[in-house]
Amino acid sequence: MTSKPKLAAQPTMQPRPLARQHRYITWLSLSLMSFLALMVLIVYESRWVYPEIQAYFSQTGSLTGQQLSTRARVYLQDAQSELLSDQPEQEALEAATMDIDLAYGLADMHIYRREYACAEPSLTELDRLAALLAARDIDRIAAAMALFAPIQCLTHIEMDQLDRRGAAINDFSESTRQHSLVLTYSSLLIFVMGLLFWWLHERQLRRTDRATQETFEWMQRAMRDPLTGIGNRSALHQDVLAKQHQSLGLILVDIDFFKQYNDAYGHPQGDTLLRQLAALIGKTLNDKAQLYRLGGDEFAALLHCPDIDTLKSYCHQLIEGLREADFMHPAHPDKKGVTLSVGGSCFVADEATFPYAYEAADKALYRVKTMGRDGWQVTEDA
Amino acid sequence: MNVVALHRSPWGRVRDRLACALIVVGITLPATAFAQALNMINGDVTQKVALSDLHAMSDTTFTLYDPYQGREVEMQGVEFRAFLIEQFGEVPPALHFTAWDDYEVTLEGWDDPNWYLVSSEDGDPLTIRTRGPVRLVERDYGDRDVENLREFNDWIWMIRSIEAKW
Repeated sequence: MTSKPKLAAQPTMQPRPLARQHRYITWLSLSLMSFLALMVLIVYESRWVYPEIQAYFSQTGSLTGQQLSTRARVYLQDAQSELLSDQPEQEALEAATMDIDLAYGLADMHIYRREYACAEPSLTELDRLAALLAARDIDRIAAAMALFAPIQCLTHIEMDQLDRRGAAINDFSESTRQHSLVLTYSSLLIFVMGLLFWWLHERQLRRTDRATQETFEWMQRAMRDPLTGIGNRSALHQDVLAKQHQSLGLILVDIDFFKQYNDAYGHPQGDTLLRQLAALIGKTLNDKAQLYRLGGDEFAALLHCPDIDTLKSYCHQLIEGLREADFMHPAHPDKKGVTLSVGGSCFVADEATFPYAYEAADKALYRVKTMGRDGWQVTEDA
Repeated sequence: MNVVALHRSPWGRVRDRLACALIVVGITLPATAFAQALNMINGDVTQKVALSDLHAMSDTTFTLYDPYQGREVEMQGVEFRAFLIEQFGEVPPALHFTAWDDYEVTLEGWDDPNWYLVSSEDGDPLTIRTRGPVRLVERDYGDRDVENLREFNDWIWMIRSIEAKW
């Protein structure tokens, strides 16, 4: 009698409660939003830095890439070279005048006039010099000397503009450092928040799964008889519903004179007998049946039953199996061992047919009891 | 100053006027001598567009704030896109500019009616001194910061030649 009775069918898993789903979806959303915010921050910082870099470091070759004052100064120095060169006076003066005009055009800037006091007098001086050169009314050396003042002014502008550009670059550098710090700490914070939210999501998920598992186990226990480990009445109903339209046999088993057995041996021994009988019924029915304990000393077996003869065969096997097991029953009125009354019926599983099948099997059982117990009957027209 | 000086001979007055005229001519001569035409280069062909012709075809006058001069300026010029089509048959994908100050640059995106080739300013023809003889400006530069001259890098000055880059 070591065979273990087949347990009732497992109940199907229920979906997670909606409120819990919403809760961990929220954590998940927060986590994803954090990582999204991190991406947005990085993209924003990149977009901020690029134009600034372009503004300060990508001016080479453009109109204002080299300072206008620098270019003007170079033209004035070229004019000095032309004036002091050995070339014929006409050519030298024309070349110098052209250089002065170019310098004038480059230096005649609103911003220079506004920001530098020397700009206006220098432009006036260039004007005067150009007129004198055109009239050939100035010595070449004197003209070259006269260009020193505008050159000095342009050099001053050049240096100041360089200082300003340097200061602007320093500001940009400092600003970049600040942005870098903000980016580093912000991204770190957001990343940690993202991880935290993700961890909360995972924790919530685990809790939900655990709760589901507990609910599942609780449902399993609710469907099982704690003494024998086989299914209970609820499990029987559920299994019948799960086998809709199948041809099934229902066998009801009642232990004869079980009260007397308990009175003779005590309830603990009675419980042992119940466990032994559950195992015996399972073994006798070749583990093909699902077993249930319906009440104190009443069992039920649900099995595949293509015809009534198969059912009769199972009932017969049960009685014979018990006789072979020969359980002692000192209080049996007929001086026998433990005996069973067995009733059965066949039916096509359905929610509506099961009550009739149960009633038919119970009637068969009742007939056995009225006929003196220790036997089996089946109702053929259930 | 003495009395003699106040009563100069007719020949002296003529001589003074001649000197004044020479000064005026002398001031403008070097620049104008150099900058009398705009070279339009298309492959191996160089077409010289006389500045007088350019002035004649400058049919648009508008006023805008010139950030380099820091004031409102009345400019007269020709729509650059139309000018390119007239010169090259169509707007080239890129143009290589050479300026009188030897500045050179190649820029794209000239199929834009916003650009004008300006040859006069406040009624006066542009000279080297006024960053001429021709200059490119944007008639509408939106809300760009006029204090930041880097925003106006494409306003090419002192244009000497324009070469089509196909």
